[in-house]
Amino acid sequence: MGEFSAKRKIFSFGTMIIGIALMVAGLFMAITLTDFLGIRGELIIAGCILFFVGLYFFPTLKHHRGIINFMFLFPLLFAFVVTVIFPLFIGIGYSFTDWDGITVNKGVGFGNYQRMFGEAQFMWSVLITFLFVIINIILVNLVAFLLALLCTSKLKGLGFFRAAYFVPNLIGGIVLGYIWQFIFSKVITEILNSQASMLVETKTAFIGIVMVYVWQYAGYIMLIYITGLNTVPGDIIEASSIDGANALQTLFKIKIPMIAPTITICTFLTLTSAFKQFDVNLSLTNGTGSVTFMGKYLSKGTSMLAHNIYETAFVNNEYAYGEAKAVFFFIVLAIVSIIQVRVSNKREVEL
Amino acid sequence: MRKKLLSMLLVGAMASSFVACGQPNTANTESGNASSGDGTATSSVTLLNGKPEIDAQLQDLAALYKEETGNELIVQTIGGDTNASDELKKMKAAGNMPDIFVIEANQASSWDGLLADLAGESWTDKTEFELVDDSMGTIGFPYTVEATALGYNADVLTAAGIDPSTLTSPAAYKEAFETLDSKKDELGLKAVLGWCAEPSNLGWSSGTHVFAQYLDAGLAADDTTYIDLLNDGGQVDHDRMLAFAEFVGMMNQYSDPDLLVDGTYDEQVAGFKAGEYAFITQGNWCVTSPDDVDFECGFAPYAFEDGIDTIIAGPPSYWVAYSEGNVDGAKAFFDWCAGDSAQNILVNDAGLVSPFDDCQYEAVNPFYSSMKSYIDAGKFSGWHTMLKKDGLQNQTCQVFADYAQGKLDAESFTTTMEQVIADYYAN
Repeated sequence: MGEFSAKRKIFSFGTMIIGIALMVAGLFMAITLTDFLGIRGELIIAGCILFFVGLYFFPTLKHHRGIINFMFLFPLLFAFVVTVIFPLFIGIGYSFTDWDGITVNKGVGFGNYQRMFGEAQFMWSVLITFLFVIINIILVNLVAFLLALLCTSKLKGLGFFRAAYFVPNLIGGIVLGYIWQFIFSKVITEILNSQASMLVETKTAFIGIVMVYVWQYAGYIMLIYITGLNTVPGDIIEASSIDGANALQTLFKIKIPMIAPTITICTFLTLTSAFKQFDVNLSLTNGTGSVTFMGKYLSKGTSMLAHNIYETAFVNNEYAYGEAKAVFFFIVLAIVSIIQVRVSNKREVEL
Repeated sequence: MRKKLLSMLLVGAMASSFVACGQPNTANTESGNASSGDGTATSSVTLLNGKPEIDAQLQDLAALYKEETGNELIVQTIGGDTNASDELKKMKAAGNMPDIFVIEANQASSWDGLLADLAGESWTDKTEFELVDDSMGTIGFPYTVEATALGYNADVLTAAGIDPSTLTSPAAYKEAFETLDSKKDELGLKAVLGWCAEPSNLGWSSGTHVFAQYLDAGLAADDTTYIDLLNDGGQVDHDRMLAFAEFVGMMNQYSDPDLLVDGTYDEQVAGFKAGEYAFITQGNWCVTSPDDVDFECGFAPYAFEDGIDTIIAGPPSYWVAYSEGNVDGAKAFFDWCAGDSAQNILVNDAGLVSPFDDCQYEAVNPFYSSMKSYIDAGKFSGWHTMLKKDGLQNQTCQVFADYAQGKLDAESFTTTMEQVIADYYAN
């Protein structure tokens, strides 16, 4: 450490200490609301800059590179912590209280979590969400893959078809829901000459949501499959055709194994996005539809998990209870995603 | 050396970006301090308005307020959704609360301790519609009165030979509906009733407003029998609900089948305005201008039991003063707002119905004369439906929808309603 002058050491430690002191003072003002001069923001920023200047001149050769790396990563890390990590933990904290969005009166321990599993409506939402996810993983990937095969064949007007299949994805889910609501309740009833639309019955309304979702999402997944199919080397396909493979054999023995990583990505994408389905659910049916479940009449037969959480928190004004459900949702989603990625990775290695 | 210079430059850029990011925040802090700290406490108040349709008129009101008193009123409007409570929660969390904001009656308890008591203000003597809370005192300033019942097209009823004042029993309604139904072609009607039980977009209509009739129809304005029963663990008076169910069943029978199950609010109102329906299950908000209709409008009670002769009338929401905000300024504004020049704007320009006894302006609303006759005769019930547990309407509206589709009959409608409500309160 002999190569650094005492002056530099004092400068470095001095600026860092002043910087920290200024930041603490600024934060103290912000928390205790004693900011009479209106300078708490300036204090925090000045303190932050001073701290980093001091850190830059920190008398070390061994860790200098590490400090520089940290300084460059800091803005991103800071933003990530403030916008993602903090809210996550604050949210988990709120889920143990009776927060109604305005005040917290008392902690309720695991009360919200216990209550959640006794609520028939919520269990129904969990059930249909899983059903929705399973149906959609199969349907979206199947439809998208078939469309991708079409769009990589030698048809005329391919550019148009690709764009046409992709466009539904560009329309926001809320708008899409209202458009399809009109189609279901006005156009289709007119064509079939029926009195009520299929959105009125829980079962058919659920099918309606699945249809709209597949229509919206298949175009997007199709694009990924197209990219995957285009990466299959032409010489391999040529070799297989020389060996006498027909179109089906080429598809199942060459193309599908070659795009296994793409299939992984696509199932993963459809899985998580189907789990989080909310906007179409909200605008198409708003969760309505009666169903009898666990011996009870439920009013929200098509309300999926995300929608159920939204209604609990923002419509029924039970923020803490909604938060508890959201934490449960997060855990389920994390577990399912991890399992899914693990299983898929294994399969790819075996290939 | 050059490398060092470059890294210094980049660090400098990063730091300056912090400064840039920080700037608006500090600016906010300063202006926030200026408005609350410089001692001119009564001069400026902010009002959070939940009705976007009257935003322009409230801006006029603010201008007039400044002109007449020198005080400033800043109107902020929450667009689109009448439910401003979400926005208010964000404002509360950010420490940026308006001095005056809009609440519905059942939201008062969640603001417990945060609302100023307005008791003793002079305007409270001029109205019977202020919001009084047991623990917080007089907290709500009524800015409008709305009414809901069975709206009717008086010209059609007259042409069919029906006197609306006789519609005070289920039997009278049955006869009237039958008469109208038999004369549909001659009267140019598409259906007797424009009643829509579609739950996803119109759930508020069936779940809150029509359901309100079960809670209040026929009761005095301060009678809370059924809402108290409901809020005591979700209990329902079986006989009253059954009578109500039978009446709703009759409504289902005579409503326009195209509208009943999956119609929209727009279709319902458009049909009534075009004279296709003799009755509509909405309130005075559905026809606001005399130019919209070429017939007389009125209200008839939901007489599901003999002798029910009241409509539901009162303020659906209130303006309240935030106790940690500029309370004196808010009180001064309320006092002025109950006066003549402010009522002129609210009634004549914004089309609201004044809750104040001494207001000299007649509302332009086509339902107004009918509303006024009920209010003057004391034949109005309260909006106690606003006191039910938050979100209950989203559960009950589906029961109305199933009834409309014919999946339930009056008896099973009643038992299902009881089960749904009890479950919702129990959870």
